[in-house]
Amino acid sequence: MIRIRALQSGSGSFALRFVSLDVESAEYAVVLGAAGAGKTTLLETIAGIRRATGGTIAIDGRDITHEPPERRGVAMVYQHDYLFPHLDVAANIAYGARDRADARAAAELAGAAALLERDVRSLSGGERQLVALARALATRARVLLLDEPFGALDPPRRAAMRRTLRDVQRREPLTVVHVTHDVAEAALLADRIALLDDGALLQTGPAPDVFAHPVSVRAAELLGAENVFAGRVVGRGDGLVEFRTGSLVLHALADESPEGATHAVVHAGEIVVAREAARSSARNSVVGRVSSVTSTGALARIELEVSGTPLVASITASSARELALREGDEVHASWKATAVRLC
Amino acid sequence: MPTPRTDTSHGRRASFASIAAALAASILLLFLALPTGSLVVSGGAAGASGLLRDHELRRAIALSAGAATIATALVALLGTPLAWLLARRRFRGGALVEAVLDLPLLIPHPVAGLALLLLLARDAPLGGALFALGLRVIGTPVGIVAAMAFVAAPLFVSAAREAIARVDVRYEHVARTLGDNGWRAFRRVTLPLAGRGILAGAVVTWARAVSEFGAIVVVAYHPRVASVLAYDRFTSFGIAEALPVAAALVIVALVPLVVLRALRVERAA
Repeated sequence: MIRIRALQSGSGSFALRFVSLDVESAEYAVVLGAAGAGKTTLLETIAGIRRATGGTIAIDGRDITHEPPERRGVAMVYQHDYLFPHLDVAANIAYGARDRADARAAAELAGAAALLERDVRSLSGGERQLVALARALATRARVLLLDEPFGALDPPRRAAMRRTLRDVQRREPLTVVHVTHDVAEAALLADRIALLDDGALLQTGPAPDVFAHPVSVRAAELLGAENVFAGRVVGRGDGLVEFRTGSLVLHALADESPEGATHAVVHAGEIVVAREAARSSARNSVVGRVSSVTSTGALARIELEVSGTPLVASITASSARELALREGDEVHASWKATAVRLC
Repeated sequence: MPTPRTDTSHGRRASFASIAAALAASILLLFLALPTGSLVVSGGAAGASGLLRDHELRRAIALSAGAATIATALVALLGTPLAWLLARRRFRGGALVEAVLDLPLLIPHPVAGLALLLLLARDAPLGGALFALGLRVIGTPVGIVAAMAFVAAPLFVSAAREAIARVDVRYEHVARTLGDNGWRAFRRVTLPLAGRGILAGAVVTWARAVSEFGAIVVVAYHPRVASVLAYDRFTSFGIAEALPVAAALVIVALVPLVVLRALRVERAA
């Protein structure tokens, strides 16, 4: 288990500010944050590469705050793999291993056994990352720190690497702290999510809880929410609350709505778009005009204008084709009260 | 869209600039290469045969090469950690350290010799202490090594610092998380990756040390190294006697540089 308390670490004009985070043994934690939020600084401070200027870090009850990196029992994989160019693949993997058997086992675990005879310069981006993972696993460290490990890979390789990593983490089992700016990656991998912004943690918790209940507008933005409305609660009743934003009134579940909420968040994927009004269980239903349709692979992003308020919906590209949506078309958009998160 | 006339005038201006740059470069290169080239051409054959027949010249060249090798080894041993510090760490007094490193490059070498004399003479505190330990510096090969190290050390530290700085520090970080302490990470990762640059720095340092005259002539006129022997023969017998010694010294100093360049070309190919 990793227990971080009030951690501070400086890096030029940037500093981590009183970061506290618990990661259980064998848990996969994802630290989600934008570029410059302090994700790499956090990992490097856990690894001992950067000095903590305040706070404590403990692994399995042992305070390692002032231990050198080699005595912390952690291994780290960077986005740019940093394979040692003067060593071949086998020597890279064996670098921190106790013996050849450990190196061989790690190579097999990471799916890099077929690469052992290769020169590192001949490897593709995905292969390099597998070797970097095998090299970290070969140390038999129980804690793995991953700094945007898929950032340099194309989507198919990223998906394959993700599967490999999750599989390895569960089989060993390893405690993982993985930092990324990619919300989809976090959603696919994380048992626990921590939102890091400008050197401070905004929110931590089990992944489903954090996705369901962002504590602030910034947290919702980091979680990829496309629709964030400023406003106020104007009414309650029948288990629902009414939240007014401009000329729109949104309905949300009263049980999950904090007193004095100032913002409502609706994920674009929760919004249903239709050509005609239909009777349904959705408590929120509006009429708007299409202002743009953008296709992004299997999905289409539909931007609507509803009485002067912009609204973004994400539907499948095939649905967008069937609806034949064009700029200026009038459409009906609806979503459930459970899809509205007030914060 | 630019008119063809403008294009042509740009083209003319560009070609004029190229010709002027090539002319300036040629003048400088000739100025650098001609004196050394003519010295080797005039005295090269006599120098080469002198190496076989002239015992005094052979002894002087061996002393120069041996002292330069020891000086380079000492400078590399002490200078590599300093180069690592300068490349990797920002620390208070760093600018002062760099200024100290520049000193030998900025002062005339006979003045450097006088400074060493002041410090290492028998009646000076450090020289006296060393003498008490049985180590005489002035007028001995030890003094020659000291003078060579003094003038050549900045070249090594500068080259090694650049070579180390070119190695991404994250290789060291990864090595640390893979179980290495700082020294092992340097030895197993940084040193091999910076090795070629450090070796190049050592070769240049050696060449500079073997060619040193100004500081050595003050600290140790005897035993005579090749540069002092060339000067001695010039002042005693004239240029004809000095030429073979000078040519032999130039050849010896150039050999490692030529080998280094050849190795680089081979690797690039």
